[in-house]
Amino acid sequence: MSGPLLEAEGVTKRFGGLVANDAVTITVAPGEVRGLIGPNGAGKTTFVNMLTGFETLDAGSIRLGGAALTGLPANQIAARGLVRTFQVARVFSNMSVRENLLIPFLAAGSPGGVREGQAKAADLLATGTLEHLAEEPASVLSGGQRMLLQACAGFMIPAVRLYVLDEPFAGINPVVKDALIALIEHENKSNGRAFLIVSHEMAIVRRLCPRVTVMIQGRVAAEGTLDEVARRPEVVQAYLGSAAA
Amino acid sequence: MTPETGWLPHASRHLGAAKGWTVIFSAELLVQTVLSGLMVGVLYALMALGITFIYSIVKTINWAMGEFYMIGSYIQFVAVHYLLGARWWWLAAIISAAGTFLVGLILEPILIKPMYARPMQRRDDYATVVTIALLLLLRSLAVALGGPNQYRPESDLPVVWIGPLPQEGARVAAFVCALLALAVFWIVIKKTWVGLALRAAAQNRVAVQTSGVDVYRLDAIAFAIGVALAGLAGALLAPLFMVFPTNGAVTTVKGFEIIVIGGLGSIPGALVGGLLLGLAESLGAAFISSPYQNVYGFLLVIVVLIVRPDGLFGERGREA
Repeated sequence: MSGPLLEAEGVTKRFGGLVANDAVTITVAPGEVRGLIGPNGAGKTTFVNMLTGFETLDAGSIRLGGAALTGLPANQIAARGLVRTFQVARVFSNMSVRENLLIPFLAAGSPGGVREGQAKAADLLATGTLEHLAEEPASVLSGGQRMLLQACAGFMIPAVRLYVLDEPFAGINPVVKDALIALIEHENKSNGRAFLIVSHEMAIVRRLCPRVTVMIQGRVAAEGTLDEVARRPEVVQAYLGSAAA
Repeated sequence: MTPETGWLPHASRHLGAAKGWTVIFSAELLVQTVLSGLMVGVLYALMALGITFIYSIVKTINWAMGEFYMIGSYIQFVAVHYLLGARWWWLAAIISAAGTFLVGLILEPILIKPMYARPMQRRDDYATVVTIALLLLLRSLAVALGGPNQYRPESDLPVVWIGPLPQEGARVAAFVCALLALAVFWIVIKKTWVGLALRAAAQNRVAVQTSGVDVYRLDAIAFAIGVALAGLAGALLAPLFMVFPTNGAVTTVKGFEIIVIGGLGSIPGALVGGLLLGLAESLGAAFISSPYQNVYGFLLVIVVLIVRPDGLFGERGREA
């Protein structure tokens, strides 16, 4: 794979008079871990929703590995390897942690079947420090553990190439946070998966993401290393207000 | 229990006559009533299970459920009367269930799926209007094809004696088949991949899509399974309750009574509610007054609404 993995070009979304995403263009290389930052209301989640088929595009196009994804339903986008998590973890509360992991694996119709799925789930649970909870219903998990489970569930889709994590670190305890970071680093290094991480936690973004994209008021305002973009006056202004500029 | 307490038919008749009652209360009558209540209750439960199952996944109430019951009964009649003969009633019942399943599988994507293209608040309105329209369409279709006549598929099943108690063969057969169907349903839901996906969809439609599952296909499958349960009930009850264009109306009402008793969206609620409704009706008919048979179920509904407004197994705020 020589070309970019994700090519989102001119992605635009209007809600009535509000332009939530105004010609957003972002490219992510294979195996890259990209941060997506910006103040609240910048349109990050709207962009993620359009990437993953949960919102329609008013204009623009999305390609993954050269193949067009625009207009596909969410489940097909996931099956083609563009997977996401939600800010509020969406897990199947009445099912065991293990069953939660098997669903995305079996949905992909992998030839290995349940046995391979179980093995893969066991690996992920070990990396994610959820092993001891495998047979418990997901309803007993804490908020952070749910987020971790949701993240693990995405890795169970065999085709996953780009994993979009929407605010995965918000409001979770440091131990779970470390487990999630370890999981991301592991999947990136040993399986070459690319990530787009939406987060406000700058310390983690600095650690995980060599490059970040800054969105402000629905537009891409800057791109570069975190330290580079943090020096841009428009970024400073958006975060701290004009008095600081 | 000794014969003197009324276990044998002649003893109970004698006892009743001696005291001059018009209604005879005997242990035998009680057992027989409870049995027939449970038998019919399981078939009601099939209907209710179908309604609740469709609701839990597609998130809509199918008001045309009784018409799928009706379709099942017509297929049963045609299959038994014209094609297979009374001996192959069980094969006809399987064909009826499969036929209704197919009808459901074809209709859901055409009629119900467009509801998801609408804003959340309008979905219920849409589904209600569409399924009521479907109800009218299917009834008119039945009149157009078969006329307003009543049909009855032949049944050559002998009377079954349970101890000293006679039970209509078709009734026992319907009961046994309904139990089998419930077992198959349970296995599909608990043990198969489709069942796992369906349970997942019932809990979180968005997460199931994120997992790469086509939730709209699951909707069609769930709808088809639900209406097939109704179709099967129609087929099994055809020799007892007849085949005519509006024969599903009564069973639909009973299905919804059970949903209120058991709680919408609850599978155990549908089963327990079905049995309770069957018992209430048959006990009321036997020991209070038989013309009011349909009233006892509603009394039960009212009691449940007073004591547990969400139904016996219902969860408060399930829709939130």
